[in-house]
Amino acid sequence: MEIQGYTLPDELYYEENHYWVKEEGDLLVMGMDDFAQKMAGEIVFVQLPEEGKELTAGKKFAKIESGKWLGKVFAPVNGELAAVNEELETNPGLINSDCYGKGWIYKIKPSDKGEVANLIHGKEAVEKWVLAEIEKYAKE
Amino acid sequence: MEAKYDFERKYREQILQCSRCGFCQSVCPVYGATLRPALNARGKMLLLKEVMDGKIELGKELIDSLFQCTTCASCANNCPSGVNVPEIIKQVRKDMVNIGSCHPAFAGMNEVLQKSTNIYAEDELPDFDRKRDQKAAYVYFIGCVGAYREDEATEGALDLLDRLSVDYTLISEVCCSGVLEDVGYSLNPKLASQNLERIFATGAKTVITGCPYCYRTFTHRQEYDELRKRGITVLHISQFLKDLDFGVTTDKKVTYHDPCDLGRHCGIYEEPRATIRKIAPDFVEMQHHHADSLCCGAGGGVRGAYAKNSLAMARRRLKEAEDTGAEILLTECNSCVHNLANAKLRKQNIKIYNTTAFINELMTKKVRNK
Repeated sequence: MEIQGYTLPDELYYEENHYWVKEEGDLLVMGMDDFAQKMAGEIVFVQLPEEGKELTAGKKFAKIESGKWLGKVFAPVNGELAAVNEELETNPGLINSDCYGKGWIYKIKPSDKGEVANLIHGKEAVEKWVLAEIEKYAKE
Repeated sequence: MEAKYDFERKYREQILQCSRCGFCQSVCPVYGATLRPALNARGKMLLLKEVMDGKIELGKELIDSLFQCTTCASCANNCPSGVNVPEIIKQVRKDMVNIGSCHPAFAGMNEVLQKSTNIYAEDELPDFDRKRDQKAAYVYFIGCVGAYREDEATEGALDLLDRLSVDYTLISEVCCSGVLEDVGYSLNPKLASQNLERIFATGAKTVITGCPYCYRTFTHRQEYDELRKRGITVLHISQFLKDLDFGVTTDKKVTYHDPCDLGRHCGIYEEPRATIRKIAPDFVEMQHHHADSLCCGAGGGVRGAYAKNSLAMARRRLKEAEDTGAEILLTECNSCVHNLANAKLRKQNIKIYNTTAFINELMTKKVRNK
């Protein structure tokens, strides 16, 4: 789906800080959405914690930086970090060039896959959320 | 013919003194990361000579050369002709700002520091679970990177001061704004006044800075002269700690990165080493150290404007640290910690700390093991 120039694929789940999540076998893949990568500008650093790190839904577990912006990454579900995209160490710009593909960031082994239901999903919900976000950031 | 720009009026002779020997090339961190001769000091001086001769215009095409300098002063330190390149670059940037040819990231930094209290335009200054603006013997001044980007390093420094029972207070600090002088603008006197008022209100006779750049600004800039007039001493934390005993040592091999702002710009080389030798008997120097230290690539606005090259410079420095066989890389600047830690690859095992945070970690382990 395209909302005012931002691409937000319908099949994905979205965490409210603009990270997308999708199922891949037993794992969940996570990345930054198009709205966030456009707002942030050129991404220059992505913190890639060690695999096995315990994640608590809603708690910060990593940082992402563009030139003068620091973003916190919050766990979308409970679980543990299963893999990271090591290409981002030397080429964090993949998040800008292909945020839903080569720019994926983390893979998570969820404690309960059903927790994705707590995320924003479905055309109507995503549209409502993103329009509100566009309005919020336009005021700032 | 009358000089068109201030850089020419002030530095014409110095620019002409550049003998093009190229000693600067081997030590320039930007050249080291990019291998582009137009980006080292010699290349920049040649460009400025061409501008003075009227052969090329000072304009947007020169931004990537003249704004891509960390002002680390490694070139000046190695220049047999005595050309003070960082001062020339700072003036040229001001001239370029005046004619509207400024790198957008540098212009953004100025814009932020006219509206906000810190270089990141963050809304809220973290309090690190401590009271601010109290009466105390010492003020601990964190600096923007320590406050907003390297919170763990700052927590370590503050915990260490607590362990040492230092009577200090934090203040509602704002950016010292010294960096604006490096990026083509001028220090913001309003921000300086706010810091001065808040320091004076504490009654402290000493300001300890966690940031070498803030130390440099407080001790060198006239906007902070009132500190000297009132007899207030300013110390970088490495100077404050050098005579103290911590009662802890590490058996790990340790090396030390000299921050440019502390070393080449302020001449503080031995104080950090005096502390490190006490806590790390197995201390080794890197190939480049003291005045010959390699820049981490973060300074002069380069991290904000040219992040990729800035991180490439940090990776070169990390390689030198790894080549010593050290497990621990210490430094005394949160900005260096930030850039080096961001540059570190997952396969690299070396750990990077601000010295204060490392000492605090050793002391914490000692308490736990008792």
